[in-house]
Amino acid sequence: MAGFREAQGDLVLENVTKSFTTFTAVDDLSLTVPRGSFFALLGPSGCGKTTTLRMVAGLEQPTSGTIRIGNTDLTGSRPYERPVNTVFQSYALFPHLSVRDNVAFGPKRRGVKDALAQADATLSLVQLTHLAGRKPTQLSGGQQQRVAVARALVNHPEVLLLDEPLGALDLKLRREMQVELKRIQTEVGLTFVHVTHDQEEAMTMADTVAVMNLGKIEQMGAPDVLYDLPRTKFVANFLGQSNLMSGHVDDTDGDNVVVSTAQHKLRLRKSRAAAGSGDIAFGVRPEKTRIHNADPGPAAAGNSIGPGTLVDVSFTGVATQYLVDVPEAGRWAVYEQNLDLERIDSRPGDTVWISWDPGHAFGVRP
Amino acid sequence: MSALAHIGGSTSGSAPAAQPTPTKRGKVAYLLLLPGVLWLIVFFVVPLVQLFTVSLQSKFPGYPGYYYRDVNFGNYLTAVVDYWPHFARSLLYAGLATLLAFILAYPLAYAMAFKAGKWRGVMMICVIAPFFTSFILRTIAWRQILSDDGWIASALNALHLLPGGHITETWVAVVAGLTYNFLPFMVLPIYASLERADPKIIEAGGDLYANGLTTFRTVTLPMSMPGVLAGTLLTFIPAAGDYVNAELLGSDISTKMVGNGIESQFFRVVDGYPTAAALSFTLMAAILALVFLYVRKYGTEELL
Repeated sequence: MAGFREAQGDLVLENVTKSFTTFTAVDDLSLTVPRGSFFALLGPSGCGKTTTLRMVAGLEQPTSGTIRIGNTDLTGSRPYERPVNTVFQSYALFPHLSVRDNVAFGPKRRGVKDALAQADATLSLVQLTHLAGRKPTQLSGGQQQRVAVARALVNHPEVLLLDEPLGALDLKLRREMQVELKRIQTEVGLTFVHVTHDQEEAMTMADTVAVMNLGKIEQMGAPDVLYDLPRTKFVANFLGQSNLMSGHVDDTDGDNVVVSTAQHKLRLRKSRAAAGSGDIAFGVRPEKTRIHNADPGPAAAGNSIGPGTLVDVSFTGVATQYLVDVPEAGRWAVYEQNLDLERIDSRPGDTVWISWDPGHAFGVRP
Repeated sequence: MSALAHIGGSTSGSAPAAQPTPTKRGKVAYLLLLPGVLWLIVFFVVPLVQLFTVSLQSKFPGYPGYYYRDVNFGNYLTAVVDYWPHFARSLLYAGLATLLAFILAYPLAYAMAFKAGKWRGVMMICVIAPFFTSFILRTIAWRQILSDDGWIASALNALHLLPGGHITETWVAVVAGLTYNFLPFMVLPIYASLERADPKIIEAGGDLYANGLTTFRTVTLPMSMPGVLAGTLLTFIPAAGDYVNAELLGSDISTKMVGNGIESQFFRVVDGYPTAAALSFTLMAAILALVFLYVRKYGTEELL
């Protein structure tokens, strides 16, 4: 039993599948989380991210595949045998115990002699020393969240699992806790695996983000890389917003491929295209585009579309958001920062064109 | 009453500017309380006071069945001296029945809350269904089940495991009857408290290095304590005052409880009214004292 608990190293999932009677929650998933990194599993509800987390915790057993930490195979072991602790979505604090006893619960079970002293030290790490004697119900949501983090951290787990830990907090508190969790992770240097459906949360906190959909990982990488170059339609739409239209690669032009859509011939860097030939979905992020009230002309031939009809203009302060209906390309969004002294005075119904820097376009599998 | 004071106190304290609203809300609260309070006064407080005066009355010498108003605490002395074995049996049997009911009810409630799945509704009906039959009838049915030629007694007799040869007419039958009759009152509150518990909290026990048994001891059981406390009170209090089980399942003398004493003093003994009333009050005081000590020791904030 102690063998499991001594496990050290990277968290490795190999061909892990979890099937329930009516559906497969996790489908042949393999991934490696390097020791000491902050890893985020991002996806919509029902994508299998929580099931993955619960399998790492030992609260579910995989139907097939193995889960290892370093060289120790944890598959089949019980939750209490694993060097893994969870911060639950609902915090799951013990209502009958004080904050201090909640945090000391793990150390006590492991037979640590100075359990209470360790609990106090961890409570000071999350800045809750002054509330140690209270019961969980007497704390605010944010405070309960910190207790839940402390209760898991005090055990110095090899892997700390966070199951949507900020979901129940309001926006301001969530921002604070994001910074706080990142600080704690840097301070203690443990492996954090964070499950969330909030793409911004995943990107601000994690070193590596894995985007999950239908039980599989769609794409994995550093947040900026993932955002800049999504490889699938799902990632392009789930991680931020994308303007996408379907086309066909039918030519090359130096470093670029030429994508033909219904109305336009567009250029795309070869390195940014998911396919060198055949069907492709051409995409640009809304904030990488600009709006024009005249045709930008042949100079922008491969990296502009139009004419389209402006359907909505919303001024948000830092930026203005335009929605444009382009025939055969669907509805495009354009975010323009309000940098120009003289703004284009466009109104819904105007005819407009959209252009972008060719390096920003990407092509994903249709 | 304390709830009312709380409503009035908190609203007037937090929002002194909005004076008209709290008074209006206060009035509505009093109006809503009125029927219940009236009911309690007419059917609980008045009879209680009446009973207390009866417990202090003295017999009218020479006129059997007649009493005069008095402050005769001798009735209490008679009650305790003559009936202390009944008191002892009442508390002992009720305590045993409560313990047995707890042992039977906890696993049942646990199974209903966590393991039953789609059978939960069926199990719930099984727990409640006996209420559709009269309490007396069910107790009489137990007399048949435990009778000398019933299969339980004959099987035990065949194995020479029944020292006296009978189950009925013994304390075993009385305790069994009490346990059976009050079991649902133990099951339901425990089930409610377990069902309300977030399963994630129990998972958290496992996640924090507690094995199944330790998680039960340190997490599940303490979390269900409000239910256990309510269940034991709902079982012990009526069981201690019960006389039907001792009457129908027990023997004529050696298993009588206080309830039987009160019943016979009221209905079978001429001049028994003051003693019966004194017995009732003594029983009430004893139960109140025990419950108070019990809640003080095991109670949680929610109940106190």
